[in-house]
Amino acid sequence: MLDANGMAEAPLLEFRAVDTHYGDLHVLKGVDYRIDEGEIVCLLGGNASGKSTTMKAIMGVVVPSSGDIHYAGHSLAGISVAERVRRGIAPVLEARRLFPRMTVYENLEMGAYTRVRDREFGEDLERVFTLFPRVKERLKQLAGTLSGGEQQMVAIGRALMAHPRLLCMDEPSMGLAPIFVEQVFDIIQAINRQGTTIFMVEQNANMALQIADRAYVLQTGQVVLSGAAAELRQNPLIREAYLGEMKVA
Amino acid sequence: MSDLKVPAPKTGVIGESFAWARRASPVLWLPPRLRSPVIVAAIFAFALLFPILHPNDADIDSVANALTYAALALGLNIVVGLAGLLDLGYAAFFAIGAYAYGVAASWQLAPQWTSFWEPFQWLGLVAHFQDSGSDVVHFQVSFWLMMPAAAALAAFFGVLFGAPTLRLKGDYLAIVTLGFGEIVPIVVRNIPTVTNGAMGLNGVMAPQLFGWSFGVSATPYYYVGLGLVALLILTSQHLKFSRIGRAWMAIREDEIAAATMGVDRVKMKLLAFATGAAFAGATGTLFVAKLQTATPEMFMFPVSVMILVMIVFGGIGSVWGVVLGALILQLLQSWFLEDLSQWLHWLGRLIDVGWLQRIELAGSIELIFGLILVTMMLYRRQGLIPATRRVAALTLEEQSAPVTRGGVDSLQGLGALAGAQAGPLLAVDNLTVRFGGLVALRSVSLAVPAHSVLAVIGPNGSGKSTLFNAVTGLVSAEGGSVRFAGSEIAGKPPHVVLERGIARTFQNLRLFPNLTVLENVLVGMHARLHTGAVGALLRLPRTRREEHAARERAMQILAIFGNRLVPRVDHVVSSLSYANRRRVEIARALAAQPKLLLLDEPTAGMNPAETLELADQIKSLNRLGLTIILIEHKLDVVVNLAERVVVLDHGEKIAEGTPAEIRRDPEVIRAYLGRSAESA
Amino acid sequence: MPRPLMTLDPVFVQQVINGLSLGAMYALLALGFTLVYGILELINFAHFNVFMVGSFIGMWALEALGLSGQSITLSGLALVGALIFAFAVTMLASGMLGVAIERIALRPLRGVTGTAGMITTIGVSYILFNVILLTVGAGSLNYPNPLPTVRWDVAGAVLELRQVLIWGVALALMLGLQLFVSRTRLGKAMRATAQDAEAARMMGVDVDRVVMTAFFLGSALAGAAALIFGLYYNFTSFIIGYTAGLRAFTAAVLGGIGSVTGAMVGGVLIGLIESLGGQYVATRWTDVIIFSILILVLVFAPSGLFGRAAATRS
Repeated sequence: MLDANGMAEAPLLEFRAVDTHYGDLHVLKGVDYRIDEGEIVCLLGGNASGKSTTMKAIMGVVVPSSGDIHYAGHSLAGISVAERVRRGIAPVLEARRLFPRMTVYENLEMGAYTRVRDREFGEDLERVFTLFPRVKERLKQLAGTLSGGEQQMVAIGRALMAHPRLLCMDEPSMGLAPIFVEQVFDIIQAINRQGTTIFMVEQNANMALQIADRAYVLQTGQVVLSGAAAELRQNPLIREAYLGEMKVA
Repeated sequence: MSDLKVPAPKTGVIGESFAWARRASPVLWLPPRLRSPVIVAAIFAFALLFPILHPNDADIDSVANALTYAALALGLNIVVGLAGLLDLGYAAFFAIGAYAYGVAASWQLAPQWTSFWEPFQWLGLVAHFQDSGSDVVHFQVSFWLMMPAAAALAAFFGVLFGAPTLRLKGDYLAIVTLGFGEIVPIVVRNIPTVTNGAMGLNGVMAPQLFGWSFGVSATPYYYVGLGLVALLILTSQHLKFSRIGRAWMAIREDEIAAATMGVDRVKMKLLAFATGAAFAGATGTLFVAKLQTATPEMFMFPVSVMILVMIVFGGIGSVWGVVLGALILQLLQSWFLEDLSQWLHWLGRLIDVGWLQRIELAGSIELIFGLILVTMMLYRRQGLIPATRRVAALTLEEQSAPVTRGGVDSLQGLGALAGAQAGPLLAVDNLTVRFGGLVALRSVSLAVPAHSVLAVIGPNGSGKSTLFNAVTGLVSAEGGSVRFAGSEIAGKPPHVVLERGIARTFQNLRLFPNLTVLENVLVGMHARLHTGAVGALLRLPRTRREEHAARERAMQILAIFGNRLVPRVDHVVSSLSYANRRRVEIARALAAQPKLLLLDEPTAGMNPAETLELADQIKSLNRLGLTIILIEHKLDVVVNLAERVVVLDHGEKIAEGTPAEIRRDPEVIRAYLGRSAESA
Repeated sequence: MPRPLMTLDPVFVQQVINGLSLGAMYALLALGFTLVYGILELINFAHFNVFMVGSFIGMWALEALGLSGQSITLSGLALVGALIFAFAVTMLASGMLGVAIERIALRPLRGVTGTAGMITTIGVSYILFNVILLTVGAGSLNYPNPLPTVRWDVAGAVLELRQVLIWGVALALMLGLQLFVSRTRLGKAMRATAQDAEAARMMGVDVDRVVMTAFFLGSALAGAAALIFGLYYNFTSFIIGYTAGLRAFTAAVLGGIGSVTGAMVGGVLIGLIESLGGQYVATRWTDVIIFSILILVLVFAPSGLFGRAAATRS
């Protein structure tokens, strides 16, 4: 992204040579990502590639063993999860993870936990209702009784209630029927057009690459491919990376 | 440093204590060779001579009491320390043994004399007592007869309490046992005809040896107590280091993994419970014989807690540790509290603090127990003598030795099938598995020919591990059948599936974290060995031969991996590298002599070189005859190893064929890369 | 056995009244216990001795007002004021005791799976019990009770003012708790944490604070129940944690550990069982009856009436 003077702006989120470990298992191996404001960037990869760990590292649940994560110009080292949410990073968790015995409305409220109930809260709520009319219908229903697709809507809505600058989505299409998958991706694009930056971990490379600006492909913890989504879509190497055949240096 | 520690063993306080033991640098560490015969002999020699060297009857009495509690601690150690079952009502078994002897050797029951009692009189169990107006039976069963009988009775109640409750989760089991522990004294208090209720039994007969009665001196009880503790130490050690003990510890560490390795959980848990109960029952007779009385108050919750404190203090799982813990805490009460109180009084006078001058520690012993319990749980969960032994680290030479690759030739016969196998070794037909509303597997069918390698691949969440879980009996299938070597195994419990000949590894590694490499592998052999409790106890020659052969076989299996595991054979597995832990899990599965091996992502977390090496080893195993099903996502591994591949997506089989066919199959590619909008 | 209830047997009605009063007390105690379990899945043995300590604190609070025994009775504003003071002090002090226990003895064990935490609470329970025993002694102490003796006749049985009071306080507290968890931000955070602690954390919830709040509220409820105990029975002693605790614990299990509704319903049921059981069977068997219920529920229906807890091995 270039600013008014034509200079490259600082990225909104940046991973610099990040390593993570799980005990003695080396999960992420010196990964670099860069996400500029306003983009949709997706992180692709097959099983056990390290995608989920990336998401956890951004949220602060996993701490890098080396390297650094930068957000909005500052390092996230030592910053608590709650503070990250306050600074504008909101998660849409893998498999939704709504609070099953709380109502849809209460789930949305929990998304805004770190915020004050001001007029902006009301506006955000309206925005969620506009994006997801079905959510508005089911406000008083217990979240655990909704279908998978409806839960995904609520989960995205919950994250939006944090009024985030950066929306981190962990496998938004997982477990959804195909018709919902399309809807979800449409909505992601809509949210992005409204100004939210999106960093999305996805297994469904085809759909993700259709809406993303750029993408990274992970295989066993390393970035093996990256670039503009349009180019990657044509790249046969993606299939190799997914099927675990790509030779990694 | 990583925020995440080593994945915590999902084992609770017992497992955590062991984990701490390996990281702590204990102050009171006694050398591992404490069990060395010389030291043990010296201890017993001293113990034997003690009453002679120090003929103070009160002191001997204190030690005799302490020995009683040491025996109880040993019993609870089997239930809590070895098998990992938290029993908060252990005193109930103590009570049962005590009252059994008390009733059988006192005037409490005195039914009318009839000729029915004559044979018992002839056996010396009862006496015919005639007095002015009364003609009654006097129970006088011999102490020596009653001790094993009480043990058996308590064991019976152990099975009775355990059968409906041992399947409960840890903290719920604790509550239920607490309940039993409370009900027994209340029942005792409320059936006065049998037990004399709250007033307690009295006039219990002292033991007699060749006509000479024990009388009031503490010394003979001391020797009986010493003998009992020695016997129970021996019993504990024999059981702990046997097939039975390993099965118990496997249950403690990871019940599910234990079951898939052939351990019959229900049977083993009941055995542990009954054994612990028997220890308490036997000790109960000694306790009552010495006091010659018994009241319900002696067997209530505080007693159960006290024994728990003793084993936590001494070292859960450590035989010598719990004995030490019991002795220290008991003798603290008998010998030192009084002196400590005096010392505090003196201190109080010195610094002029009123309550210090008046304090009586003897009455505060329970407070001290509470403090000990909390302090130990917070700062030293492994106790005074941790149960895990420290092993000498590898020498620099051993650590940097170039890795050698073993061969599988020593494992001839693995995977051999009795007779030719007509039809597939494993036939899964229309298998459906549901979790609540979610369909994890939908009408999946596949056939695995004998001696072949089949790979199961598919994106995340496609149901691959669920397939393994359904075949091995960890989840129940809603419909369809699973036939192995011709017979139906769907619905059979995991340990039966293992016995039939299917062994597996787990995607997320389920080793027994606090057991050594060798012990882990030996647990794998559980179903192929035959030593039972009796054999383990008596260490029969047949048992020793079997153990020896088992160890040799285990070493042969570990040698497949060259010198990676063999030098680390006595190391606790949680100290091994990730790749080595994966190898141990495979070795453990091989130890079960399976005909079919299920490997769930065996190369996960390995670098390319290690992956290649393991793939080679798997290939060699297959060449020996072992049929293998492999869940794997590294397609080059699959291409190298598998003859056929099955592809799952969203719980359904979407493709099957050779690796080359699968690679080109557009359905497969779509499954992995996702459906694109146009083709939706 | 009671005669057919065409005309209500006064003895039966009396026992029902008594049982409901006891039930209210057990419900409060069970509620406090279940709050902590719902979030931490921890069986907190110390809870019932916090209750016991609470009753002594209540006693001292009333004595501080100059009340002693049942000789001095108050009425009107003075009575209300005294009670509010006593409840406030007792609940606050008990709540802080609970928080201290969590902070010192339980937080270090937060990550340890299995029964480590429960065993530690046994130790803490012992400490509380014995500290009181050693300082105050084993005798039971006369509880100051400023309530005037006011009675009403209900279907031939006696309904006393103190029973009405118990019900009033218990209902008010339960309503207050219900409002807290359903309307306040922290209350919702508690519910969220109980349902999915990691997701709650990712919403920015301070899990440590939530746990602390649960302990505070639970212990405060125990304190209220303790003051009620003293005012109802007119005595307190070091042993009441054990006796009332067993019943409250069974109530929580019967209702379903972790369920707020369950604790309330279970409490009432156990109160009625104790009262009617004592009348129609024999008081000396009530402990056995209650323990048996505990065991039977855990063995045959571990999730109780309203609970979801999975009590069998995974």
